[in-house]
Amino acid sequence: MKKKGVGIGSTFYGTGYGNGFPDVSRAKAVLKEDGKVAVHVGATEVGQGSKTIMSQMAAEVMSIPLNDIIFICEDTKNMPDSGTAAASRQTYNTGNAIKLACEDLRKKVIENAFKELKLNSSVGLTLKNGEIYLKTLPSKNISLKELALCLLKNKELPLIGEGSFTAQTIEMDEETGQGAPYWPYTFNVYGVIVEVDTETGLIDIIKAVCAQDVGKAINPEMIEGQMDGGFAMGLGYSIYEDLGLKEGKMKNKNFTNYLIPTALDVPELEKFIIEDPESTGPFGAKGIGEPVMLGVAPAVLNAIYDAVGVRITQVPVTPDRLLRALKEERRE
Amino acid sequence: MKREIVGKRAIRVDGHSKVLGKAEYPQDIQKQSMYHGKTLRSKKPHAYFKLNIDKAKNLKGVIAILTAKDVPYNHHGVLFKDHEIFCTNKVRRVGDPIAFVVAENEKIAKQAVEFIEIEYDEIPGVFDPIKAMEQSAPIVHKESNILYHYKIRKGNIENAFKQCEVIVENEYRTGMVDHAFLQPESGIAYMDENTVVVCASSQYPHFDQIEIAEALNIPTENVRVINPAIGGAFGGREDITLQIHIALATKLVGKPVKTTYSREESFLAHGKRHSMIMKYKTGANRQGKLVAMEANIIGDTGAYASWAPNVLRKAGVHATGPYEIPNVKVDSYAVYTNNPFAGAMRGFGAAQGPIAYEQQIDEIGRKLSIDPITIRKINGFKVGSETATGQILEASVPYIQCIESVGKALGLEQKEGIR
Repeated sequence: MKKKGVGIGSTFYGTGYGNGFPDVSRAKAVLKEDGKVAVHVGATEVGQGSKTIMSQMAAEVMSIPLNDIIFICEDTKNMPDSGTAAASRQTYNTGNAIKLACEDLRKKVIENAFKELKLNSSVGLTLKNGEIYLKTLPSKNISLKELALCLLKNKELPLIGEGSFTAQTIEMDEETGQGAPYWPYTFNVYGVIVEVDTETGLIDIIKAVCAQDVGKAINPEMIEGQMDGGFAMGLGYSIYEDLGLKEGKMKNKNFTNYLIPTALDVPELEKFIIEDPESTGPFGAKGIGEPVMLGVAPAVLNAIYDAVGVRITQVPVTPDRLLRALKEERRE
Repeated sequence: MKREIVGKRAIRVDGHSKVLGKAEYPQDIQKQSMYHGKTLRSKKPHAYFKLNIDKAKNLKGVIAILTAKDVPYNHHGVLFKDHEIFCTNKVRRVGDPIAFVVAENEKIAKQAVEFIEIEYDEIPGVFDPIKAMEQSAPIVHKESNILYHYKIRKGNIENAFKQCEVIVENEYRTGMVDHAFLQPESGIAYMDENTVVVCASSQYPHFDQIEIAEALNIPTENVRVINPAIGGAFGGREDITLQIHIALATKLVGKPVKTTYSREESFLAHGKRHSMIMKYKTGANRQGKLVAMEANIIGDTGAYASWAPNVLRKAGVHATGPYEIPNVKVDSYAVYTNNPFAGAMRGFGAAQGPIAYEQQIDEIGRKLSIDPITIRKINGFKVGSETATGQILEASVPYIQCIESVGKALGLEQKEGIR
């Protein structure tokens, strides 16, 4: 018999290394001779999209097109240490460092522009759409490209902005665990409707909904991508992935028998991006890389209970495990 | 404030090259006259061993075979240096690296690995973390198998449980899982004058640089790490794998050395998500307000520590779930066994707890006839809430908003239809 059930899984997640460990990101923003800006940062692009959203942050501060940001994050020879691409910390930590570095460069650009424009002060000068101009007299202007050429001629390139950000984290008391270990906290809620086949033990996800707190979305498309990926990984954790570990040996160590969800196993995910800016985050943003997968497994387990009235306390809920639990329930 | 680019659906800056197959992953990198490496790994979970490489060494096309004695500093690890680069005389898990063959091509390297004679003297292993905590258990490293214990003591749970209308107790278990990232580990190392250059996918190239330099006993500035395109990580590329092997090899033979893992070797090489055994006791008053919670969490870190203290700490800090609970007692432990080692993986200790605390709160609600949305709204964090560690959530706490969005989309809002 096929039985339907609904379940909720809600979670929170503290960003960063935590517990007082120095959590530092560094960044450098460099004005190039063609007016483009190179961002040097040790934040690894592992597929999560850091290169894109951090380029967006830099482009926003420098007020230049996204294509004019050259993002360099591949070589220890030419990038500062920005910590590990983990703990959902890059958007928040390194994002802040990049924002600071670009703000520093922006200030230096304006200072140099007022000299080139032969004004007596930088007051009222702004940088927008690649142009530095006087707000009260826009005809007093110079483009970033022109400025870069002037600086090159005067041997004043490269112009470098620097930024460093250290997250707030406080070591907890050893006996009571009291303290402020992480910041910020990010919230995630999943809801799923499952269909359980009580004869085969197979579980189908009929519908899935995700609400993800992001602080502020730097790129909604990428957040939605993370939600899809997080859901698939969480689903694998809930009902498929099993190493077949016995006496320290993995039986399942390739994709023939270590099953991960395929596109056919994953339903269309209804997504809600919840914005509530975090004042210490870059543009209000928080990291979401890990949070997006946390609520899936509990939602599936609660939905299984709603469908068949049996609490499964162990993941993955393989057909075997589910049928055994149903049998035990009947016996009782 | 109006933003021009932040908040926009900009197209992935590295998207084009990846979609068109132009992005260069470590496996794509070829160097002239490069050699190939292959790792010999332990087939036993706990054993002493003796090695004879003579037969393998004499195979035509074998350039070198690296073992423990070729490593200036034979230790690595993100927190404690408890991994050996190549095991000296004892293996602690299936998959432990023992030797690295450098040969003219992959085929010869593979063959030579099979020609290495290894004699195991097996010793009893421990595979159940609860048994590993007992005094009589086989010891995986030195001293105790209990490597870390984190505690929360907040309020008074004994008194608080006495005042509860409902109490729910259960034990939950999660298994170890693999990151299953798309791109199995691959890397190539070469010499650039005095500098060892290592191209391999990493989550933290600056840390790899330090660990490579330490193992080779050369200055950090003489190691350069290049991070080509990376096919996923999810925490599985935090502990170093092949980087030191190929760095040692290229320094020894003077030519580029490349190695690429198969999917099976990838499973053997990197860490897993910690399996956990979580005992929970949760109590609430008649109105559904959570009053007390006690949790005992045991995390199996397998043969090596990797990030275990930090992971079990995170598990402990997040044990309550996103709920205000005034009386909390948590004990979380990280324990060595002879299982595959566990390390960082998406969630980092906060992925297992939800399986327990979210079923606990549903059970509490069910016993009090309060629906899952309402019970969460009664207890959920909001601005000004205090966590179990005494931290005040002073801003950006849209938990209730998240719950309401999901409830509404599923048609659950204000209904009491589901159990």
